[in-house]
Amino acid sequence: MRKLTLYARVILASAEMSVRETMTDGFVVFGIFVQPLIIALLGLWMLRDRGGDYGIFVVVGSGLTGLWSSLLFISGNSITHERWTGTLETLVGVPTPMGVIVLGKNLANVLQSIGSMAVSYLLASLLFGYPLTVAQPIQFVISLFLTVVAFVTFGLVIAPIFVMNPDVQRWQNGLEFPIYILAGFLFPIALLPGWTTPISYLLAPYWAAQALHLTSSGGGTSGEISIAWGMMLLFSLVYVLLSRTLFRVMLRKARSEATLGLE
Amino acid sequence: MAPLNAIEVRNLRRIYRTTIGVIRRRVKEVVAVDDISFDVAPGELFGLLGPNGAGKTTMVKMLTTLLIPSAGTARVLGFDVVDQADPIRPRIGFIFGGERGLYWRLSAIDNLRYFASLYHVEPEIARKRIPYLLELVRLDGRGQEKVEGYSRGMKQRLHVARTLLHDPELLFLDEPTIGLDPIGARELRQVIRNLQSEKKTILLTTHYMFEADALCERIAVIDHGRIVALDTPEGLKRHVRDLSVIELEVYGIPPELLDVLRALEVVEAVTVENRDQKQAVLVQSPGGSEAVPEILAALSGLRVGKVIVREPTLEDAYVRLVGGEVEP
Repeated sequence: MRKLTLYARVILASAEMSVRETMTDGFVVFGIFVQPLIIALLGLWMLRDRGGDYGIFVVVGSGLTGLWSSLLFISGNSITHERWTGTLETLVGVPTPMGVIVLGKNLANVLQSIGSMAVSYLLASLLFGYPLTVAQPIQFVISLFLTVVAFVTFGLVIAPIFVMNPDVQRWQNGLEFPIYILAGFLFPIALLPGWTTPISYLLAPYWAAQALHLTSSGGGTSGEISIAWGMMLLFSLVYVLLSRTLFRVMLRKARSEATLGLE
Repeated sequence: MAPLNAIEVRNLRRIYRTTIGVIRRRVKEVVAVDDISFDVAPGELFGLLGPNGAGKTTMVKMLTTLLIPSAGTARVLGFDVVDQADPIRPRIGFIFGGERGLYWRLSAIDNLRYFASLYHVEPEIARKRIPYLLELVRLDGRGQEKVEGYSRGMKQRLHVARTLLHDPELLFLDEPTIGLDPIGARELRQVIRNLQSEKKTILLTTHYMFEADALCERIAVIDHGRIVALDTPEGLKRHVRDLSVIELEVYGIPPELLDVLRALEVVEAVTVENRDQKQAVLVQSPGGSEAVPEILAALSGLRVGKVIVREPTLEDAYVRLVGGEVEP
């Protein structure tokens, strides 16, 4: 119990630290707030003659792009940044497990992105006059909560790779758009070739997009929504277990190959 | 039962491997620490003295669990640094010299609050300890300012405060006074003395001889990854007890004249220090003042100022042990 209290304090402190740091970084502010707005604006403009249902689809989808970008770039870059500033060694040398520190950072990034989704919602409503009503509000809130859990835990799998390998940053750009597409953030995966579908099913962001789109636009059966929730929970659990092993292996490798610092 | 030694190092070795070339990649190996063994007793202030690149920081990184040795063993407070890092980390504090390792966009207080939580310091203890530590390192009144506006010395003092947050029993201070102004360095040395009086075990690395002489109970002189001498400061000075040091003030000395001096039978070692517009040629000689005429004769034609014959210091012992130029 005492350990849980200590870890909860670290998660909150790391989240607070992350918010304070990111809010002074223009690149991060752009990624969280401006980029999703641009995507939402373009999507709404293209679909302005299609009617109200598309409005909420685009708002939720653009919010999800912000979530993924912030997780990929901010969480990943924060480890690269820690390495450059020399704080990564200090963080590894403290008694708190690295995964707990990263969890707090990811939580802050994901919650900030949820904020950007709300801004997109307001923009669509004010500028384009879409009736942005959420079809199943309670289910939507539950979906949003599970989305936060799924993305935060997905970030835990990504982080150890950044801890071990300073060169992994060059792969970041290449990972951004495939997830937008494969997870069906902005259009249904039914439009993609059939062979990509199994890949989508293995991604928690796909099930998050599915749950949020179904509950916001309506039209989903309770069975479909439950499957999406269950898959998010399952994948979150898998990611947590996987990240524990990854952190242990990658930190050992980083200590062995001297990649925690820049010397 | 408490371990007999706070630190036990046995045949420790660390090799760095890097690759060179793009098409024909070759692996290059650099031996940073080579077969080092030593012990540090509880409550001792132990110094690792050596030039840049000698392997001091690599040694500290291995002992602080941040780097895995290539061979040998090291135990800190009775625990193995490779496989038992978890019980070591809450009980040690470490700083690496320089400005890095802090969150520059945040204030000193925010930095300390964050690290306090990472070290599991209870919030009510942290609330009292942070102002105390800021006062200890003379940053009281500046704690709300962003670290990016701090001078190098202020950042290093903040590092010291950071490493004392959880009141560790063993401290690793890697070149803590590097780059500090003389007053800042003197104050930091006083902080280290105070920590010593609290019976904390301290491993200090430095390449400042006078600092090692003034603070350390025992010193390991390390060069090219190996320990070349391990003794008390007085014991190390005994390495040069048979020598005197002749200091000659000159105004520009050509390298070939230094070679002439080195070739003299009465000369053991020669180093040059820059002192403002002048230079000081430091000649170690078993002849003492009797060797001065021969040395001056070798320097005929060169403008020589003051000539002083003195007893050797730790720095002179270091020159004899390590050889080469002393860093200013």
